[in-house]
Amino acid sequence: MELSSLVQNVLNGLAIGSVYAIFALGYTLIFSILGIINFAHGAVFTLGAYFTYTLISGQFENNGLLRGLNLFPQGSPLSGSAWGFAISALVGALAAGLVGVIIERLAFRPMRTRSADPLLALVSSLGVALVIVNLIQILVGAESYSFPEGIYGDLPPALLFHMGEKVIIIRTVQVIIFAVSMVLLLILGYVIGRTRTGKALRAVAENPGTASLLGISVDRFIVITFFLAGLLGGLAGTLVGSSFGIAGPYFGVTYGLKGLAVIVLGGLGSIPGAVVGGLVIGLAEAFVPAEYSAYKEAVAFALLFVILLVRPQGLLGRAQIQKV
Amino acid sequence: MKRTLSLLTLATLTLASAQKVVTPVQIGVAVAQTSNTALLGQEEVIGAKFAEKLINARGGINGTPIKLVFQDTGGDEAGAINAFQNLISKDNVVGIVGPTLSQQAFAADPIADRAKVPVLGPSNTAKGIPQIGDFIARVSAPVAVVAPNAIKQALKLDPKIKKVAVLYAQNDAFSVSETGTFQQTAKDLGLNVATVQKFQTTDNDFTTQVTAVLGDNVDLVIISGLANDGGNLVKQLRQLGYKGLIIGGNGLNTTNMFPVCQKYCDGVIIAQAYSPAQASAANQVFVREYTAQYKKAPPQFAAQAYTGVQVFVDALRVIDRKKKLSEWNLPDLRVELNKQVLLGKYNTPLGAISFDKEGEVNQKDFYVAQIKMQDAKNGTFVYLK
Repeated sequence: MELSSLVQNVLNGLAIGSVYAIFALGYTLIFSILGIINFAHGAVFTLGAYFTYTLISGQFENNGLLRGLNLFPQGSPLSGSAWGFAISALVGALAAGLVGVIIERLAFRPMRTRSADPLLALVSSLGVALVIVNLIQILVGAESYSFPEGIYGDLPPALLFHMGEKVIIIRTVQVIIFAVSMVLLLILGYVIGRTRTGKALRAVAENPGTASLLGISVDRFIVITFFLAGLLGGLAGTLVGSSFGIAGPYFGVTYGLKGLAVIVLGGLGSIPGAVVGGLVIGLAEAFVPAEYSAYKEAVAFALLFVILLVRPQGLLGRAQIQKV
Repeated sequence: MKRTLSLLTLATLTLASAQKVVTPVQIGVAVAQTSNTALLGQEEVIGAKFAEKLINARGGINGTPIKLVFQDTGGDEAGAINAFQNLISKDNVVGIVGPTLSQQAFAADPIADRAKVPVLGPSNTAKGIPQIGDFIARVSAPVAVVAPNAIKQALKLDPKIKKVAVLYAQNDAFSVSETGTFQQTAKDLGLNVATVQKFQTTDNDFTTQVTAVLGDNVDLVIISGLANDGGNLVKQLRQLGYKGLIIGGNGLNTTNMFPVCQKYCDGVIIAQAYSPAQASAANQVFVREYTAQYKKAPPQFAAQAYTGVQVFVDALRVIDRKKKLSEWNLPDLRVELNKQVLLGKYNTPLGAISFDKEGEVNQKDFYVAQIKMQDAKNGTFVYLK
């Protein structure tokens, strides 16, 4: 492989891998606290994108109950500038975080209070996901919605780098996605590792019973976890949506599956593992030759399979130690 | 599996054997109202509903109204099979318009064929659909007829075209069928197919494919996919600097693509089996009604679903004039309807159509259009001579 192709593939892989990483972090956070997978996370990802789109566009002109709605007859004040997009993305992510909290209330808490089998909570979250997806379609139809051109201000759509005679091309939006993802990961790393809230979260994850005895409100921190997970999922949805458009209500399904692969690969419950797993899968996909790129998902899952054969606990997971 | 299906079919026939035809006359519409395919299915639902409204306003079938029974197929084969079974055995329809995708048709049509229920495919353009069985016909012209026109038109616009890149969605039977036609046509016209690349209809990041296409310095890109993936591919090709002509297949033949690629849709060439400018009276009424309600011209998929319903109704009118529909047993009427559909000639929004003995549509009018975007979201298909 030529050096230019290598660089191109690495850039492509890091851009998409970083999205996988922040999406998977939501899964990981919930798994590390409750030990279950929230299947509604993909739906929250989708909602985050729609929330942001609503603030920037304010209208759904295709099908569904909201057809003809126009929130901003004079045009959205948040449209057409980088700051406007940043504010919309943040509000969209916060709204997605609130949805995460509602999901916890509806799908997880009732199961937890009855000490139900974790499998029931998983199925319950799957039900919530389907309800959300269908609700979106009832409201705004099955059509795709794309963010207006120029949401990042006056940036060019693509950046060119010369490498000898070869040209490396990368979409500007990919650079933005990578940069935002990395900043987010650093912030999250700081919150979890260095703040009181983070310490309490880690205590709840380690042993909810002991954490409760130490005066930590377990329920409150579970809600915070779901809020953070929803916020990250929603922001990932916005980032992908701004790059490729919102591909209808089922937009988050593929990312939901990919996110599962990422957290298993990185190590269940490991936050650094989710980041590494996301980047590894993104890079693996990017290195699939163009003519076989339709099989890139199969390659990602095959890689997962191979790595799990070697390291069943995932790249950064901890092996289960059983006392005998 | 075969035995189970045979038993199921036998049971269905037994149940239906003594059944009289109910009024209003029930016609099934099995299209995708959920899943990614709903993007196309939604348009078909709208088209079929317009047909129901306009036909009943004009007295239905010689005074007997029609009633459409909708069943959601989702986007996969299992959904289509389930919808067909419900329409055949539970809803007792006289015929079915559907499913949305060729992929689904290959799975669900045999069930209708075994139950002797006529099916009209509204948007199944892959090779081999009418050959599924005696009761299977389609109003959607096959890609082999429509697609070559687009390449010929591209060569008219730019005679210097030599190298071509072909991209297609490999998880969609129709796109696979269509790309075969595109590639063969390109070779027949002396063009060099420099690269052939696959993707999935669920993909939205095409950086890998686009950078490969740019590396091959092609003069023409041909895409077979659906509205969302196809639109995204167009957008990313343009954003990364591709300046040559782009041809989109039938799956991109929808205004739903406009919000996806926005200003980058401009100039994309699409061969079509339907034009809002088609002069038939049936089309002009349909266009007027559709435009009044949706503030845009009707897309091909809506027109084809409308046509499917209309063909059934026109055939039922002929049967009703010989013997009142209410006097028929349902299984007998289904068989008679299938015969009459293949015998008739129809003036539809697609223009004048008829069927050959296998159920393949004979259609005279085809079009090649080029997308012209007025602004970020609104565009039109401008028809090329």
